Amino acid sequence: MSLTHKAPPVVPQDSEPHPPATPPKHKLWFYRFDTKRTPYVFISPFFILFAIFGLFPIVFNGIVALRTWRLDDPDRNGWAGFDNFERLLHDEDFWNALGNTFGIFILSTVPQLLIALMVANLLNRKLRGTTWWRVGVLLPYVTPIAASTLVFAVFFSRDNGMANWLLSLVGFTDLGDPLDWRAYKWSSWIAIATMVNWKWIGYNALLYLSAMQAIPKDVYEAAAVDGAGPWRQLWRITVPMIRPVVIFTVVLSTIGGLQLFNEPMLFEANPAAATGGSNGQWQTIAQLIYKVGWKDLNLGYAAAMSWALFLIILIVAALNAFITNRLGGGRR
Amino acid sequence: MSRFGMRGAALIAAGLAGTLAISACSGQSLEGGGDKAADGQVTLKVNFWGDMGLDALKAAYEKEHPNVKIVLNSGEYNAQHEDLQKKLVAGSGAPDISAVDEGFMVQFRGQADKFVNLLDKGAATYESKYLPWKWQQSKSADGKQIGLGTDVGGLAMCYRSDLFKKAGLPTERDAVSKLWPTWDDFINVGKQYVDKTGKKFVDSATNMFNPVLAQQPQGFYNEQDQLQMEAGPKVAFEISMKAVKAGLSANLVSFQPNWDQGFKKDQFAVLACPAWMIGHIQDTAPDQKGKWDIAAIPGGGGNWGGSWWTIPKQGKNQDEAYKFVEWMIQPQQQIEVFKTVGNLPSQPALYKDPAVLDYKKEFMSNAPTGQIFASTAENLKPQYLGKRNGPTRVAVENVITRVQQGSLAPDSAWPEAVKEATKAANS
Repeated sequence: MSLTHKAPPVVPQDSEPHPPATPPKHKLWFYRFDTKRTPYVFISPFFILFAIFGLFPIVFNGIVALRTWRLDDPDRNGWAGFDNFERLLHDEDFWNALGNTFGIFILSTVPQLLIALMVANLLNRKLRGTTWWRVGVLLPYVTPIAASTLVFAVFFSRDNGMANWLLSLVGFTDLGDPLDWRAYKWSSWIAIATMVNWKWIGYNALLYLSAMQAIPKDVYEAAAVDGAGPWRQLWRITVPMIRPVVIFTVVLSTIGGLQLFNEPMLFEANPAAATGGSNGQWQTIAQLIYKVGWKDLNLGYAAAMSWALFLIILIVAALNAFITNRLGGGRR
Repeated sequence: MSRFGMRGAALIAAGLAGTLAISACSGQSLEGGGDKAADGQVTLKVNFWGDMGLDALKAAYEKEHPNVKIVLNSGEYNAQHEDLQKKLVAGSGAPDISAVDEGFMVQFRGQADKFVNLLDKGAATYESKYLPWKWQQSKSADGKQIGLGTDVGGLAMCYRSDLFKKAGLPTERDAVSKLWPTWDDFINVGKQYVDKTGKKFVDSATNMFNPVLAQQPQGFYNEQDQLQMEAGPKVAFEISMKAVKAGLSANLVSFQPNWDQGFKKDQFAVLACPAWMIGHIQDTAPDQKGKWDIAAIPGGGGNWGGSWWTIPKQGKNQDEAYKFVEWMIQPQQQIEVFKTVGNLPSQPALYKDPAVLDYKKEFMSNAPTGQIFASTAENLKPQYLGKRNGPTRVAVENVITRVQQGSLAPDSAWPEAVKEATKAANS
C-alpha cells in the first residue's frame, strides 16, 4: 500500500501550474495507468502462468495428499487426514527409494562437479580450436535423455554389453560369467550415475568457464610470481572467485539429482515396470511416486510422497548451499 | 483502496487475457484432433499389446468400409491395462476399442458401467458360439457383457528341434512330448541338455512359473478374492526354483530386448507356448523359420492368457466400434488371425473347422497347430483370477528374477515371494 501513497510526480507537475489546461480525464487516467500499472502488466504473464502451472498443482497436490483417491477403486475416496503421511513413515519401499536416491545423487553430483571444474579449468587455458572444445563438451547436454539412456541401457547390459567387454579387457570381469549390472545396488547405481555425469559435466563446465573468464588475469600472475602452481591456483584463486556459480550448480544438481526419473526408468529391462529392478535396487523416489500413482493407481499416497520429496529437496538444497558457501570461504 | 482496486482490476484483466490465450490454443488443438470429421469419416483407435494379427484385418476392413479409419496402438502388456484404468476413471482419453487380458478381466468387469454393455448392441446372439467359461469371464455380476472373446491361451511347449538334435535329444514332436509327462521329467531333460551343450535350456524361470500356475486348480486368488499363496502358487514356485537350481534358466526377462536377443543367440531351447506365443516367436526371430516345433506341455493342459475386445463407454463412435469388433470375431477373421499369429479362437465350432484342424504352421516346422491347441482348449478348466492378479504376478515374477540374478537364494525365496505378493495384494 505504501507504493500507492506516493503520488506520481509527472501528473501533478504537469497539471498544477496550468489549471485551465487540465488534460481530459481519460488521458489523465491513461498516463497514470501507463506509469504505475503497465510494468505489472508486463511481468504478469510469468506470475499467471506460475499460478496455473506451478502454484495450483502444488496446492492441489497438498489437498490430494490428505485424501484417499484410488483410480482402481473409485468408490474409495474421502478425507484421509494424515494417514498417507503416517503410512509413509513405515513404508520400506519409501525408505529404500530414499536411500537409492541419495546414493545415486552422491555418486553423480560429487564427481560431476569436480570433473566439470577440471574440464572448465582446462578449457580456460589457451587451446587450439577453443570453440570446438566448448561445443564438444556441451554435446551430451543437447542429446535427448531418452535416446542417450537407451544407448546406455544397452551399454550396461549383462549379455553382450560394452561395459562388461571393456571391464573384461582389463581383467575385471569374465565374459563367461558376466556382471549383471541390474542385479545389485552398487552396480546399478554406478551405471545410472554414469549416465547423469555424462550428460551434465559439460553443462556445468561451461557455467564454471564463464565465471572463470571474469577473473582478472593479474590475480593469477601475482600468484604465479609468488610461486603458486596450477593446482594451488585452482583451489585458492579460481574456486573462491567463482563461488556464486559453484553454489548455483550445487543447488541445481541437488534438485536434479533428487528428482532423478528418466534414467532409472529407462534403465529397467521393462521400462514400463517402474520398479527400479527386481527388488527396487535403483528405484528412486520420483520413480516410486510414479509407480504408486500411475501403476498402483493410489493417487492420494503418491501425492503425499511428492510433498515429502519437496520438503526433502528444500532441506538438502539449503544444506548444500550452506556447506558449499562455507567450503568456498564465504563468511555468511 | 480504489487505487488498489484498480491495480487488482489491471491484474485480473491481464490474467484474463492470458487465460484466454491459453484456452484459445487448447481449444484449437482439441477441435483439430476430433474423431468425426465433416465428411462422415470415423477414426477408431484400438489398444492392445504384442501382435494380435490386426495388421491384415485393418487393411481388409478399411477397404470394405472406406469411411472408417483404424488406428492400431500396440503397447506393453501391463502398461496398456493400467492406462485403460486411468482413462476410465478420468472419463476421457480411452481408445474406442481396447483389448483386455484375462489377468485383468476381473478388475474391469467390476466396473462394467464404464464399458458399453455389448448385449445392448445385440451381442447375445454370440453366446452360444463361445466356450461357456469364456463368455462368463467377461460378464459382470449384474449380467452386463463387457467383452467379446478373441482367443484362449491353451498351453503347449515350443522347442528348437535344431538345438535338440545337437544335444542328442529326439527331435520329432511326439517323441519329445513323451520325454516330459511331468515337470520333474522336464527338468531332467533340461539337465541333460545343459550338460551336453553347456547352454541354458529355458529362457526364464518365470516362464515355467506361469504355465505351472495355470495348470493348478487355483491361482493366486480364491473366488472371494483372498490371496492363496500356499496352494497353486507354491507348487509353481517350487518347480521354477528347481529349474533355477539345476541351472536351466538363461535368466532373461520375457518380452524385453535381452529376451529378443536371447532368441537370436540360441540362449534357450524351449519356451512355454500358449497359442499366442507363436506370434511373438515369429516376430522376434523371423529367421528361425523351421527351427521351432511344438510338443505337449508337461503336466498337461492349462490356460495362460487370452483376451477380449471391449468398448469403453466414453467413446464417441460406439456403434462403429461394435461393428468392427463384431466383424473381428467372425469365423473368417478368427481363422485369419489364427493363421498369421497363432492366437487360438475361443469359439469351439472353429476347432472342428477344417481350416483350423488341417492347418500346418510353416514357421513351426509345419506343426499342426490347429490340432495341438484345439485339443488342449476343449479340456480347459479356467481359473479364477482375482482383481489384483496382474500386480501380484508381477511381484512374484520379480522375486523369481532376483533368484535368477543371484541376489536371493532359491531356498529362502518363498517367504520373500509371499511377502511381496501380500504387499501387491494390499497396495
